Amino acid sequence: MSGTLGKLPSDRQARDEWGVLGELPGDLMMWVLIISELLVFGAALIAFLAVRASDPQGFAADQLLLDRTEGAVNTMVLVTSGLCAALAVIARENGRRRTARGWLFAAGGLGVVFLIVKAGEYWSKAADGIGIETSPFFTFYYLITGFHAAHVVAGIVILALVAWADSVRNMETGAAFWHMVDLVWVLLFPIIYLLR
Amino acid sequence: MTSRAMIEAWVLLVAMSAATTALTFVEILGRSRMVIAAGVLVLAGLKARIILSRYLQLHNSRFWTRAFDLAIGGFLLLSFGLYAIATGP
Repeated sequence: MSGTLGKLPSDRQARDEWGVLGELPGDLMMWVLIISELLVFGAALIAFLAVRASDPQGFAADQLLLDRTEGAVNTMVLVTSGLCAALAVIARENGRRRTARGWLFAAGGLGVVFLIVKAGEYWSKAADGIGIETSPFFTFYYLITGFHAAHVVAGIVILALVAWADSVRNMETGAAFWHMVDLVWVLLFPIIYLLR
Repeated sequence: MTSRAMIEAWVLLVAMSAATTALTFVEILGRSRMVIAAGVLVLAGLKARIILSRYLQLHNSRFWTRAFDLAIGGFLLLSFGLYAIATGP
């Protein structure tokens, strides 16, 4: 794995001793966080679908009020920002620090675009008088997408931090967090916006 | 992992996202909601797999690739089951 190249031999040796845990690229603690976050979002989405089963008509009516196009645009924005973060890590591994920073800023900038689209979505719902207590559907919608948006904000901060403290390991770890945000969205978007 | 491999992964992700949008238009034309839902969830699983294997670089670990395939596959199957219970035939 390219992410482990350039590490100290003792680090590589320790990884060999960890067994399958040593096969995880980058920082092990980031993988603990990634798996934890996937479990939290997975549980929330399963709860959403379970409650939907008790009122499918109500959920379907509320879901029609969501803008699928905005969600689809945000999917494209996030997968593209994921590419930028991945290219940043490759550039840094090849010693091209300025290029790596440029890709990180592009990734973070697309994260800001995601948040602007999301804010517009929330704004239009608020203008229609739709809030977190409007219905069970919108309670889940605001909690799950809001929690995800909070992770996007955290991801942008982390990308800015690793652009400043730009060791290969830091950049790998920051990019991994960003890819987790991307991964959660590709599972969240179809369940909340598309399954009718 | 090379830049080319990452760009290929991105092209696949964009293509699958476009396919997901196309499926929602098919739904408007009145096709079976169950088939559409299954297609949307399969595409979501494939996108998740690409992000894990390419962006998160799990492609070199067969163990972790299988573990995430099982976990995300199980999650999507459960999601489809709950959707089917709510939606009916």
